[in-house]
Amino acid sequence: MVSAIVRPRTLFLAAALALLIVFPYLYKLPFFDLFLNNIRTFQATRFAIWLVVLLGLNLLTGYSGQISLGHAAFVTVGAYLGAIFMKDVGVPVFAAILAAALLTGLLGFLIGIPALRLSGPYLAIATLALIIVLPQVLKFDGVINGHHLAFMDIAERTGGVSGIQLAIPDKPHVPAIIANNFDMSRDQWLYYNCMAAAVIMTGIAWSITRSRMGRAFVALRDSEIGAQQMGVNVSLYKMSAFGLSSLYAGAGGALYFYEAAYVGPTSFDITLSLTLLVMIVLGGLASITGTIFAALIMTFKNEMTDYIVKYLPFGENIGIEQSRGALFGLLLILSIIFTPRGIAGNLHKQKEARPGGPRKNRLGALVARIGLTSREKEAEASSD
Amino acid sequence: MDEFIQQFATGLSTGSLYAIIALGLVLIYRSTGVVNFAQGEMAMFMTFIAWSIWNWNENFWFAFFAVVIISFVFGALIEMIAIRPVETGPVLNPIIVTIGLVLVIDSLALRIWQGQPKPFPSPSAIFGVNLFKGSPLSIGPADISRTNVGVFFMALLIMFLIYLFFNHTRVGLAMRGTAQNRVAGSLVGIRVGRMLALGWGLSAMVGAIAGMLLAPTLFLSPTMMAGALLFAFAAAVLGGLDSPVGAIVGGLTMGVVQNMAGTYIGSNIDITVAFLVIIAILLVRPRGLFGRKAIQRV
Repeated sequence: MVSAIVRPRTLFLAAALALLIVFPYLYKLPFFDLFLNNIRTFQATRFAIWLVVLLGLNLLTGYSGQISLGHAAFVTVGAYLGAIFMKDVGVPVFAAILAAALLTGLLGFLIGIPALRLSGPYLAIATLALIIVLPQVLKFDGVINGHHLAFMDIAERTGGVSGIQLAIPDKPHVPAIIANNFDMSRDQWLYYNCMAAAVIMTGIAWSITRSRMGRAFVALRDSEIGAQQMGVNVSLYKMSAFGLSSLYAGAGGALYFYEAAYVGPTSFDITLSLTLLVMIVLGGLASITGTIFAALIMTFKNEMTDYIVKYLPFGENIGIEQSRGALFGLLLILSIIFTPRGIAGNLHKQKEARPGGPRKNRLGALVARIGLTSREKEAEASSD
Repeated sequence: MDEFIQQFATGLSTGSLYAIIALGLVLIYRSTGVVNFAQGEMAMFMTFIAWSIWNWNENFWFAFFAVVIISFVFGALIEMIAIRPVETGPVLNPIIVTIGLVLVIDSLALRIWQGQPKPFPSPSAIFGVNLFKGSPLSIGPADISRTNVGVFFMALLIMFLIYLFFNHTRVGLAMRGTAQNRVAGSLVGIRVGRMLALGWGLSAMVGAIAGMLLAPTLFLSPTMMAGALLFAFAAAVLGGLDSPVGAIVGGLTMGVVQNMAGTYIGSNIDITVAFLVIIAILLVRPRGLFGRKAIQRV
């Protein structure tokens, strides 16, 4: 035996992977059928897609400290590129998604060049412009002052207002070779594709954050001048952060199109951009675990709030649709107040020197304690 | 040429609408350093309250000044309840809280006043003079509606008051100090918390005034400010987030560029062109036209 000792984390990852593999079939077993069904498979697929999108935003905002409100724009671009590659060019799905991701990444890298000059709220609003402008660009038919410019006719490629829809025979389906040998539905097939992509992308993000590049991101987030003094090429890494985050957004968008078989000019809007930002803060900035939590919240937030409304004493009187926003907003504010570093930030207990002494955070401290291992608890008890 | 002047004037009047909303954004950024995404929603909510008061007592100015006071208290309370607990945390957190506020206020308004647009009264005359009503103002070949003339002058007045407040009063000085450096501010005896609450109160007030003046044109509904707010953001950034003059100039520029692009290039691409122009200006002046350059100490 090379190594008899398996680290707990390796075991945990192996178990998680095994769970992901059997998940779409679990609902057929007794006990699990009590709370799982086919809709959960669909939700898990969406979770995988949002995870990819959110990982990109967290790399940019969490790790390299650049606030972007234009992430939804890159998701849209990825979805459209994926659609064009799948439908018009007709390449295999895998190649289409990869090409869409790479091209969106390249676009993000290039948009990163003007973004170099802007920071903070100025950058946030400039990136917000991307998502405000995009629907108009996608619908642009190349007519300027009555003259039709064929080379600028974007709507011809994007389908204008109606967007791009896959016809029934083109819709992603289970390949014959698998369908003949396994019992697999379309939902399950989509789940495996998207989840595989999500697992790979998570692994890549994880290794990036622990590489030279990831450390450079964190360095330029914490102090741009300091990073420069350490020999970090600030411009290059800022652009790379933009490029990488767009690559993730593009991949997520293409996966979304693959799953939904439709994309239109208003499929993704400003609300999505803001929601994505909210989610990574709720989950935990600069944390892969946090991003997984973020994707979970993103997937289940409506169901969660609807569930709470149903059990509120006066819940019957308020329409579920109407109170969804209010309740989610309220929960959002409360969780930012009580867990300012997101779920993950409270799981990894941070003992950094802060001006003004340790952070007073009642609920956060409680949650953090639950996350401690028994050995850490002993150490904490003995130090008191 | 006549058409050009008319389009320019129309652009200016749309721009004055953006300018007056942008003033509230600038005020809050300048006094607390927070970009307030809930500015439009807070203004909308206050305008609904003004509408309810007006329904009860049909005097425009009574409702107006009542809401000016209510909005100040409302803004200060929001700062104390929702913003203060997150002020010491990561920089993004106050912004996320304002997004939460958008959701809460939006669904509250929808719940209380429903979605269908409501007519809102134009300001009535004071001492027989009414800036907001009457035949359109003619400047050369161009006509500008009186409501927009009124909004424009109101924006100028608010800008002037903000200037006086920040540059010629002790409280204004204290607020500028707080915004620049909280620790240093509290060391010289400024009550930092009070200053921040004051900043929120004042900007809620400016927002409410903007809302009440714009409601006759935009029609009062929970989504009243949604569209204009984004352009106001762009206007504020274009002018420089910490400059009231910038908010006015940025707002007017935004309106004119958007209108010109719509007329001479095509209404199918006007927003795109407007934002391209703004981003081009920002690339030359990354802190906006009138914004001060941030000097960073190493």
